[in-house]
Amino acid sequence: MRIGQPEPKRGNTRLLVVLVALAVILLTLYFREGDSGLLHQARSLTLAASAPIARVGTAITSPVGAAGEFLAGLGTSRERLEALEAQNEELRARLAELEEARQENERLRALVDFAEESNLATLGARVIGRPASTWEGAITIDRGSEDGVEAGMPVMAAQGLVGQVATVSPRAATVRLITDQQSGVAGMVQSSRVLGIVRGSISGALSLDFVDRAQVPKAGDVVITSGLGGVYPKGIVVGDVTSVEDHRGELYPRIALTSRVPIGRIEEVLVLVGSGVGEVTGEIE
Amino acid sequence: MSRAWTTIGALAAALILQVAFAPHMEIFGVSPNIPLLVVITLAIVQGPSAGAVAGFAAGLVLDLIGTGPVGAWALVLSVTGYTTGMLQENMFAEGWLAPVTVAVIAGLLADTFYLIVLTVLGVAPAFWESLVSVVLPAAVYNALLVLLIYPWLARFLRSDRSMKSFRRLA
Repeated sequence: MRIGQPEPKRGNTRLLVVLVALAVILLTLYFREGDSGLLHQARSLTLAASAPIARVGTAITSPVGAAGEFLAGLGTSRERLEALEAQNEELRARLAELEEARQENERLRALVDFAEESNLATLGARVIGRPASTWEGAITIDRGSEDGVEAGMPVMAAQGLVGQVATVSPRAATVRLITDQQSGVAGMVQSSRVLGIVRGSISGALSLDFVDRAQVPKAGDVVITSGLGGVYPKGIVVGDVTSVEDHRGELYPRIALTSRVPIGRIEEVLVLVGSGVGEVTGEIE
Repeated sequence: MSRAWTTIGALAAALILQVAFAPHMEIFGVSPNIPLLVVITLAIVQGPSAGAVAGFAAGLVLDLIGTGPVGAWALVLSVTGYTTGMLQENMFAEGWLAPVTVAVIAGLLADTFYLIVLTVLGVAPAFWESLVSVVLPAAVYNALLVLLIYPWLARFLRSDRSMKSFRRLA
């Protein structure tokens, strides 16, 4: 009697083909439809449902995170403390100088009746959710369309630019961070006024691309938004140049940036809802 | 019928945990993919068809929660669920090593496949950088979590026979 080889088991291939075809149809629909399309609306509804869950998760885990930060801070050395105190003194002196310059600037602006660019209406929002997937750089905030938030609005923190509103539900919104791989910000080196594009990456690192090789910035230079493209207002701090590599064989130098915003720990943000205060119904801060 | 409800409950719980807690469980820049862990376990204990359907449903919700193209995770998880079920059914290894090996392979395949899908769609980050900074660490992280949750989750999802030990699960 022959003992046959065990027959390899087969699954329901037809079912898999149907599911794959459905997924491909969804992908096609997603790329073809506009922002008001069915799938985008479904995403907005999902955001409305998931925002309270994200809020609960953040509320539950925040004491754990705070305790971790406290424990990490216990190891701060005396040397570091002294260095920070010295830096604080230096910054205070610099602040006084800048205040003087600001007041002078205000007087000059008034003289020439210059449009006040920083007079943008902002809306304070709390961060209630972090990126749900490693592949995405997006946070959830507790302001939505009921507060006047719309897709595409820039979002910033006290330290600089955070990102742009991607999806809006009535009481929550998703903000695509500038460190996300799909983000691109028209940037400018503050000192030399050289233009470039600030791009995020999968690892969350920022780079300044397409900068003219004739005017390569140096480490420590500040990069601000250029205002080109009309998405982000001009003059918001994006980050500081940390390293520059200019190889002869490459078309553009490799410029690495670091955002001043502690994006992984950020708790409050400001949504730039427009230049007119009357345009929004939410609380203006 | 009760098995279907158990499956739906497990997937819903995984998605809730993903939104609420996964972002806060980040280690070395990667967060766990809890729905993926449930889909892998489901496929191992219930077979390729159940794995594919559960993968599609969980993937679709994962797509809608995120900011990436809708349909990408649905595609990846349905194929992952199906492949995992097929691997488990046709693998000659026995004992506890079989589901663990299958789970590790499936975790690695899922993120790699997602990267390939994004590349084909033209919205992918740098391929090698993603492979090193996301795919490999995520595979290790998810594999470790599968080792932790598989025995309990498999017992919960498989109602046809009682299981008293990890060895019997395999």
